Amino acid sequence: MEKEDVAVEVIVSESAVFSETDQGWNQVCEALRGMVGADAFQRWFRLATWMGEEDGVAAVAVPGEIHQVWIETNYLPELTNAVTAVFEDVREVNVVLIEVPGVNADGSASHAPARSRKEEEVILLEGEALDKRVKASGLNPANTFESFVVGGNSQFAHAACLAVAKKSGVGYNPLFIHGGPGLGKTHLMQAIGQEILRAQPGSRVIYLTCEKFTNEFIDAIRRGDIEKFRRRYRSTDVLLIDDVQFLGGKERSQEEFFHTFNTLLDGRNQVVLTCDRPACEIKSLEPRLISRFECGLTVEMQPPQMETRLAILKKKAMDWKVRVDGSVLNFLAEKIRTNVRRLEGALMRVATYASLAGESVTVDKVEHLLRDLIREEASRQVSIDSIQKAVADHYDVRLADMTSRRRPASIAFPRQIAMYLSRSLTKGSLMEIGEAFGGRDHGTVIHACKKVTEMIDAEQGLKETLERIESQLRR
Amino acid sequence: MKFRISKEAFLEGLQKVQHVVSSRTTLPILSNVLLVAKDGRLQFTTTDLDVGITGSVEAQIEKEGATTLPAKRLVSIVRELPSSEVEVTVDAKNHAQIRSGPSFFKIIGLSETEFPPLPDFEGARVFKIPQQVLRDGLRKTSYAISTDETRYVLNGIFTSFRDGKMTLVATDGRRLAMVDADLEFPASHETDVIIPTKAVQELQRLLGDAGEVVVKLSDNQVSFTVGDSLLASKLIEGNYPNYRQVIPGDSNERVVISREALLETVRRVSLLSSDKSNSVKLVFSENHIEITANSPDVGEAQESMDVSYTGKPMQIAFNPEFLQAPLRALDSEDVYLDLIDEMSPGVLRIEGSFLYVLMPMRVTN
Repeated sequence: MEKEDVAVEVIVSESAVFSETDQGWNQVCEALRGMVGADAFQRWFRLATWMGEEDGVAAVAVPGEIHQVWIETNYLPELTNAVTAVFEDVREVNVVLIEVPGVNADGSASHAPARSRKEEEVILLEGEALDKRVKASGLNPANTFESFVVGGNSQFAHAACLAVAKKSGVGYNPLFIHGGPGLGKTHLMQAIGQEILRAQPGSRVIYLTCEKFTNEFIDAIRRGDIEKFRRRYRSTDVLLIDDVQFLGGKERSQEEFFHTFNTLLDGRNQVVLTCDRPACEIKSLEPRLISRFECGLTVEMQPPQMETRLAILKKKAMDWKVRVDGSVLNFLAEKIRTNVRRLEGALMRVATYASLAGESVTVDKVEHLLRDLIREEASRQVSIDSIQKAVADHYDVRLADMTSRRRPASIAFPRQIAMYLSRSLTKGSLMEIGEAFGGRDHGTVIHACKKVTEMIDAEQGLKETLERIESQLRR
Repeated sequence: MKFRISKEAFLEGLQKVQHVVSSRTTLPILSNVLLVAKDGRLQFTTTDLDVGITGSVEAQIEKEGATTLPAKRLVSIVRELPSSEVEVTVDAKNHAQIRSGPSFFKIIGLSETEFPPLPDFEGARVFKIPQQVLRDGLRKTSYAISTDETRYVLNGIFTSFRDGKMTLVATDGRRLAMVDADLEFPASHETDVIIPTKAVQELQRLLGDAGEVVVKLSDNQVSFTVGDSLLASKLIEGNYPNYRQVIPGDSNERVVISREALLETVRRVSLLSSDKSNSVKLVFSENHIEITANSPDVGEAQESMDVSYTGKPMQIAFNPEFLQAPLRALDSEDVYLDLIDEMSPGVLRIEGSFLYVLMPMRVTN
């Protein structure tokens, strides 16, 4: 033991040539030795090194997990006191592990590493075994990449999810998928889980809705076995959480989620989240969670275009083995625009009707059959009023300016945009639109539409602006 | 499938396996017990996919077959049956009819084909350990297993087969318990594994005083066979930290204490240790220990013991629960407590292979 004492003395005496922080760390060591005793210092802190400080959190590195365990459970108060006495900005001290590749840093007998064992037995799961695992993870076996129809609206999201599932998207963590209801967020997310389960049967995948996460958390608090809850979620390889917007306003759950999230990200475990809006728009969500949601890859899912809607209907009709006339499919795709789930529901209704009634369905019959849906869909159509409000908001002009006679460019241009959107998004006639914009005549509206159409090609970013306003209106 | 069985045997078979039943609701089959009637025996199996257990009892089989029935419900029914004779008939739809004396139950089961099979252990390393040795080792270490689930490698007993010895270690960061025992096995079998808490608990229920337990180790699974009962479990993957770092070197003082007397004294004194401080203080003077506890708002307790101690006067404080746990698990007459100073861990030893390292509590005077 004496010999080791000497070694430390040498380091201390050399400190003059070290930088200021090294000197600081040596002061910490001296203080620590007094607090924990020479034996404990030799045993646990002699090999510890100062990793620096950031935002009031200091890191001290130790060479073995046993050092980490023992210091954290027994000496953290002393270590924190010693550090804060020297480094005044520090509020918290973390004990981290330095990994020495190839060698067990703590010098323990090298147990066969579990990881390599796993890699050897990569056998793709298939059939029933896969089904079982998939169900146990809370996934719906129907939601796979194969069953997803990719269109322009979802191409990017699909590619990102595929990359995550194939582990090639290392930086895509967390993957944050947002978009309106019924656009396939959950489908893609579950597809990631299934693909990972299939390709790496050893991995642990958990899928659950945010609401279930919250409920389980509350249950765990009530039963007092919060540790079990933590282990379950913090030791998983892939965590898929649906509808995170429901975290808004739930402070305890947010905190728990925050820590779970950090643990997983630190361990480089994949986290995938879905939400019905961008992270920054979730109400009463802590800023630190928002910034964490945004630190990976964020992808948006748009409502599908006509062609994609048609493709989805055709695929579904084939999956369900129903024959539906092309004109009917066209009609459905045209009438139901915003929501794929609803689109499938409509097709199901038509198919059921056809099989029950035993007669071929025509567009007229479908229109009658789905009149409630179509009416509802139409009522979701945006009104001129809401367009004016959204555009005024976006360009930061007064709503009254939409109908006023004033014509400076800063007001006239947004007004023209609003007219253009009213023309393309509502069924209002030119007359009605003109009337709504302060009694202008139909020529003014035509002129506005023409001008904006030209501007879309000429001015960069205008198209995106229009799309953004439109998607806001459709929500 | 049809069989007759005595109520006691039925209950015994069920109780052996009922603790493993899964509480997960995602897979209903896991809350069921698999019953297989064959060759004059009724076999029971349960699993939660991490741990699986199977055992059998004698029964009068009238028609062979298999089914799965909800375990908790079946146990509560069998326990309440009025007569000691039970007759069970299961139809093709897995509806079971249970008759006993005047009472009749019908419960709905699930097909046995859905029940996940226990892992097989072909090509596994086989160890034969006297049951008593393993049971003893588990009893002397299992209380120190960590329940902090964020550090999952510590949620089990580290079991090492090396140098002709089996070593069992458990620690939670504040204390560490270790036992080793000589064991014969081929050098090629040398390995280290971590057996999870749940398997340890089930195994302790299974092990008896006499006979051997056959342990089979595959890459990530372990099984224990005792008679016709079999316990299979996943192993905890990962590396166990280098626990030897924790064991202190030479001690300055050794005190020999009667185990029972120490246990009882600590138990009494700790009645007055508060939740907040939760410590008992041991004050050593020549041939004398004074054990005290006090909580500011409640009061204090004090008890002295005569021991053989010739070292310098010193005092050290321990968590009373952590001090009592090994004393309860041991069965020797005396224990040795090795101390360095009040800040260094104390080490509890006995005549024979056992070691318990306990971190002291800091005393604020």
